[in-house]
Amino acid sequence: MAAAIETEGLTRRFGKHRAVDAVSMTVPERAVYGFLGRNGAGKTTTLKMLLGLLKPTAGSARICGVDVGRDRIGAGRKVGALLEAHGFYGNLTGRENLDLTRTLLGLPTTEIDRVLEVVDMTDNGRRRVADYSLGMRQRLGLARAMLGAPPVLILDEPTNGLDPDGIADMRRFLRSLPDRTGATVLLSSHLLGEIEQTATHIGIVHDGRLVLEGELAALKADLAPEIGLRVDDPDRARRVLKGHDLTLTSDAAGLVARLRPGADHEAATAAVNSDLVHAGVRVFAIGPRSPSLEGIYRNVTAPRAAAERQMETV
Amino acid sequence: MLAVLSVEIRKLNRSLAAVLAVAAPSLIAVFGFFMLLRGKAAQPWEMWMLSAIGIWAFFMLPMSVTALTALVAHMEHGPKSWDHLRSLPLPRWRLYAAKAVMVLAVVAIMSVLTLALTWGAVMLAATIKPDLTPTGPFELGRYAATMGKVFLAAILMVSIQLWIALRFASFVPGLVVGIGGTFFSVVATSAKQGVFFPWQMPVNMLAAEAWRVNTALGLGCGLGLFVLALATAHLSRREVL
Repeated sequence: MAAAIETEGLTRRFGKHRAVDAVSMTVPERAVYGFLGRNGAGKTTTLKMLLGLLKPTAGSARICGVDVGRDRIGAGRKVGALLEAHGFYGNLTGRENLDLTRTLLGLPTTEIDRVLEVVDMTDNGRRRVADYSLGMRQRLGLARAMLGAPPVLILDEPTNGLDPDGIADMRRFLRSLPDRTGATVLLSSHLLGEIEQTATHIGIVHDGRLVLEGELAALKADLAPEIGLRVDDPDRARRVLKGHDLTLTSDAAGLVARLRPGADHEAATAAVNSDLVHAGVRVFAIGPRSPSLEGIYRNVTAPRAAAERQMETV
Repeated sequence: MLAVLSVEIRKLNRSLAAVLAVAAPSLIAVFGFFMLLRGKAAQPWEMWMLSAIGIWAFFMLPMSVTALTALVAHMEHGPKSWDHLRSLPLPRWRLYAAKAVMVLAVVAIMSVLTLALTWGAVMLAATIKPDLTPTGPFELGRYAATMGKVFLAAILMVSIQLWIALRFASFVPGLVVGIGGTFFSVVATSAKQGVFFPWQMPVNMLAAEAWRVNTALGLGCGLGLFVLALATAHLSRREVL
């Protein structure tokens, strides 16, 4: 599959601080790529470099094959963006705001009706943006990003400020975009659930570095299988399961037994259950846990965070 | 470029900058209206019109330019629209050049309004007190030419104020420079060095000595256009973090 967005060693320093550190990412065409990382991890700086708003200290970025550094305007023609700050003029209506960008892009006036319809904002287009709710502004921002039907959409935290219904609508909308318009979507977020339910591909950025990238389904499949356990005496259960070939941790739901990759999930569950019952541990619940994005995220960011903490204490 | 210009003009729709463009010249006209009503004897048209131009050039123009550039820049700084504008596929210098042309156009409209509204206010006051109807000829060409020179001499001041207003997201630097410039031009009106002071260049168009007029006009317009080009180049090259 061809790459809609590609970066090579993309780096940006602010003084001594490396906000983005040699990020090489590939966003396949027609993917919904979730760009995940905690606040301050370097997501927005990366997106700004993709849009030509910041110059990289090193490395390069290409949008649909066009080098952003060499031809910002050519690359800009391939992208529509929704940034954290919407930049709408409150004194103008939604339509008037869209019309400004439409004029700058040299598009026909029919584009305004088209994009307003796509985001279900036709009825509110003639209201002043100052009277819009945050969710409506977000949808108007999305409409503006889609003016001219660009092949790539870059969306920075698109569900920020939306209510639960708005978030669900936005997820559905983003998931359907590649099929409806053929566009590739790069969306950044610090919300694991949002990315998990929306993205087909993910890139996890941690302290400016891209620590993991790939197709979400494949990454989940590669995860070690897990068994969730709820028992009356977790400490005793730990002692009983010491001899088993698994790693035992605990979370809010109870104990989690992580098996070796490739281990027989059902046989392991039966053995664990049997040993616990024989040892007199009362088992309230036992069953396979589906691999989650949170698991992937913790796996790739926790060891680094732990190593950093250790370095600090040495 | 025309598309970017039309966008800048449309942004003024229902904006505070548009209110200011009408309010400032109106204040001069209102002042003229009441001055005529409290007069004892009829005065020549020249006195009313040149007084209006003087008030405009001396105080109202520097203050209006300070406020106008701050409001126009804040249209973008307030909603943080620079990222959106600068990510669009068009040369960035056009965004800033269009803003500069729009500000100059608004100042030109305000100059015309000052003349038109002053004429209207004087005529209205003379209707109320016919014995105070202005005497002598109404030399529109002369007043327009003087106002035109005031406008051209103000380009350096407009360029500096606009540069600061667009460069800094905060109102404060632009206001401090504008208020400071107006303050010094008011307290040192008769200073010969005023011809070299951007905020005093417009009022020097009313000076009796030709060298003052020519120097202030040459510097205000020539240097003003150069600074405007410099500001456009600087703003379009810098990163907005």
